Amino acid sequence: MQLKINSINHLAKAAAELLPAIAEKKIIAFYGEMGAGKTTFIKALCKQMGVTEVVSSPTFSIINEYKLAAEKKIYHFDFYRIKNISEAFDMGYEEYFFSNNYCFIEWPEKIEQLLPPQVFKIKIEQKGNERIISWQ
Amino acid sequence: MSSKPVVILGIESSCDDTSAAVIVNGKVLANIIANQKIHEQYGGVVPELASRAHLINILPTVDAALKKSGIAKNEISAIAYTRGPGLMGSLLVGSSFAKAMSLALDVPLIEVNHMQAHILAHFIDNHPKFPFLCLTVSGGHTQLVVVKNYFEMELVGETIDDAAGEAFDKAAKIMNLPYPGGPLIDKFGAAGNKDAFKFSRPNVPAYNFSFSGIKTSFLYFIQEQTPEFIEQNKNDICASIQHTIIICLLNKLIKAAEELGISEIAIAGGVSANSYLRKQLQNLAADKRWQLHIPAFEYCTDNAAMIAITGYHKFLNNEFSAQNLTATAKYNI
Repeated sequence: MQLKINSINHLAKAAAELLPAIAEKKIIAFYGEMGAGKTTFIKALCKQMGVTEVVSSPTFSIINEYKLAAEKKIYHFDFYRIKNISEAFDMGYEEYFFSNNYCFIEWPEKIEQLLPPQVFKIKIEQKGNERIISWQ
Repeated sequence: MSSKPVVILGIESSCDDTSAAVIVNGKVLANIIANQKIHEQYGGVVPELASRAHLINILPTVDAALKKSGIAKNEISAIAYTRGPGLMGSLLVGSSFAKAMSLALDVPLIEVNHMQAHILAHFIDNHPKFPFLCLTVSGGHTQLVVVKNYFEMELVGETIDDAAGEAFDKAAKIMNLPYPGGPLIDKFGAAGNKDAFKFSRPNVPAYNFSFSGIKTSFLYFIQEQTPEFIEQNKNDICASIQHTIIICLLNKLIKAAEELGISEIAIAGGVSANSYLRKQLQNLAADKRWQLHIPAFEYCTDNAAMIAITGYHKFLNNEFSAQNLTATAKYNI
């Protein structure tokens, strides 16, 4: 599947279209270069899912959490700063990945071998002023 | 009680750095941040981040702070620790350590909000008048806060995407400078022309900030240039992107100061080390007749002295915390 976005106004629609596909998957990996729009797209997804808090970049904090209804949470990861896979173990990534909450992961390349088999992979590419969002 | 000095041990472990501080009657006697030197002294390696690093660091760091201050454990009046916000695994190390030590020494425990502590770091060697407006800028945070007194603070604006410090680091990364590149942009930018290149500035409502669009605009610009051009114009490019980020911060600060009628202005967080920001703020303060407060750099980045000073004011206000209080990754100011 592939979606083309050429305006920030189309983001909400694209997020809504993707939502049914990820509902069962829970662990979603977002691949894309810096500035491709990973955080921006995750913001749009969270909004569609009913998150009212500010969804911001976790580059520094590594993990942000957002509340969903019924005690559920979304964990928003950014492994950009990770230099070594052992750092993911040290922060207890399993607690999050196997918590049955949504996990949105930026820079999954950094922890590729830790991604569970059911991971849903999304690629975001920038082509001129257009963004191409594709998945299996 | 009144004649006995108030000795606060502060413990900070919310993100990358483990830190311990001892303050007596509000005066800092030791503020230790775990670093290579501690590791050389005690052996071991320096992991970049994560809770295991805190586990390895916390004991030698607290020990070093106590030794440096010359304070014995039985002289401690209370232990203040960072309850949040931060990385859960990291917070748990500091909070569990603080709880255990408070039980062992039979002294009270004081929980501290890391973001409030950044602001109260001003009271380590200065006394801004209430109410003041504080711009907290770091790698992970960008907030505008009205500080009404030691304990009452109102968040009036924050970033809706990237933090200001992150914008610096990512701009540096886009230019292929090493991470964290914020200080390098500051260095190269000092010798450049801030008006050489223009980058789009976001239009965010109220007192909120946005830096994601600047990053993208900067990325497009760099993609269009040759590596030779970037190298030859490095200083101008750094000066221009730095100017863009700083102006966005200052415009919101000016707007808030004017509309809220506050002229007592403070800055906190690691980005306050940026020399261009400091210079612009000083010019603005002279122009707008602000009382400007910039803490010493060692109290700007994550440190335990700011946790201890917050603990000190809570101690004076009889605000203690229960043992069953849990760490929290999200903690509003």
